[in-house]
Amino acid sequence: MAVLISLSLSDMLVVGLVYGRLIPTKFAGLSYFQFLVPGIVVVGLFSAATDTGRRIWLTLPVRTGGLVGAYIISGGLGGIVYSGALLAIAYFALSFLGTSTIPIQGIVYALALIPFLFVLATGIAGLAAFFASVSRRGEIYWVYAQALQVSMVTISTVFYPAQTIAQYLPAPVATIAEYNPLSLAAGVLRNSAFAGNPLDTSVLTNLLATSLPLAILGALAYWTILRNIRLKGKP
Amino acid sequence: MNRVLTLAAYNVRILLSERTWFILAWALFGLQIAVYGSLMSKLVSTTVPNYLFFYGVGLMVITVFDSGADVGRHFVEHAHEGELPYFLSLPVSRGGFLAAQAIYGVANTMIKVLPPLIGVLWFVGDLTIQGAVFALISMFLLGLGITGIMVSMSFIAFKSVDIYSAFLAGLSALIVRFSTVFYPLIFMPSFYSPISVFSPLTYGADLTRWVLGFDPNFLLNPILAAAVVTGVAVGTLSLSARIVDKVIEGVKAA
Repeated sequence: MAVLISLSLSDMLVVGLVYGRLIPTKFAGLSYFQFLVPGIVVVGLFSAATDTGRRIWLTLPVRTGGLVGAYIISGGLGGIVYSGALLAIAYFALSFLGTSTIPIQGIVYALALIPFLFVLATGIAGLAAFFASVSRRGEIYWVYAQALQVSMVTISTVFYPAQTIAQYLPAPVATIAEYNPLSLAAGVLRNSAFAGNPLDTSVLTNLLATSLPLAILGALAYWTILRNIRLKGKP
Repeated sequence: MNRVLTLAAYNVRILLSERTWFILAWALFGLQIAVYGSLMSKLVSTTVPNYLFFYGVGLMVITVFDSGADVGRHFVEHAHEGELPYFLSLPVSRGGFLAAQAIYGVANTMIKVLPPLIGVLWFVGDLTIQGAVFALISMFLLGLGITGIMVSMSFIAFKSVDIYSAFLAGLSALIVRFSTVFYPLIFMPSFYSPISVFSPLTYGADLTRWVLGFDPNFLLNPILAAAVVTGVAVGTLSLSARIVDKVIEGVKAA
């Protein structure tokens, strides 16, 4: 946890500040630092949700479905706890280092977003569960987790606005980035939790629509693999 | 010498058996250059011209850093999986054992870095044999220094592998973020730049950019960078040689 926090904090307070000096452009009225900080909160949620790792506790007196549910929920809760802490730090950072103050309604919207961020974190935990189930060795899981994180974060609007992606990259890449759940979460945090604008229900619907299938897919894959281990002794 | 090479060849054979990992690493490198690098270069184009090239070299330096860290982890894993006593019982001197680890590290670094280096230089239209060779030498020296640091730190793992992993992850975050891997030193806030000069990656990244012909106005003095990179490589390898010679006894398997 301390390592994850140090990574996110250095991303926010070092990378964010320096890139803020390199990029003078404003994005919908936000400086690059203000634009990036909500994205880093979402990346932190991602890291915490995949940090549940590759654990198999088949000797416990719990049914396979229960183990799968516990895995997904622990990923979701881990993501919420961690991103909540980061969000609080981000509010402080933006209050002191940003040019504008955080509106009170933004904090209310952030609280209202918790269930949606929880679903996003369970979706990511589902993906992690899927990769955990296809990894035969522990270290391979971390390779997959890193590949997943690099791909999902790179092709998203965490670091750059959707317009920049649409302007310079092929349309299919721009579409993937637009509907990437990380982009949706970063966007809703920027607009509502930090800028204080009302929550956009269509974005929230899209966030649920992209996150829930991931959670279900991961849960099914993890359930299948655990059942195979119970029956055959191997994945 | 023959025994050292045999031991190194054994490690390198294990390394080469993990082809999938190399392909994945190159693919992720390509993705980051093609998407993140190209988009960020558009955003920072008014302040840092040719940022794609700047970022490409930075990403290669990160790869060198990760490879150096891999060698440290490899060494620690040997210790904690109980293989170290076996290696120490081989008819190879402690210096020879360290040299075999260093050869493994160099092979790991070169395999991971060479294809991206050629790819980036070709993509930016700056591929020359001279540039590629000097860039490799620069990154090779940096890789030796990082390997030396990681092996020197491995004595922490002799007490607790968890503390070692956490320490390295934290150190990596600081070394990378506070260095000039992703942004020139002149753009760092004044309260961060003094920390940046303590990161070996700052010197390795700027030296590599300089030998590849990047605008020197955005870089550190290349003579200073070359001196620091060489000094770190020699200093930390000497330190790790002492550690392997003196401290390694009594390491307990997990």
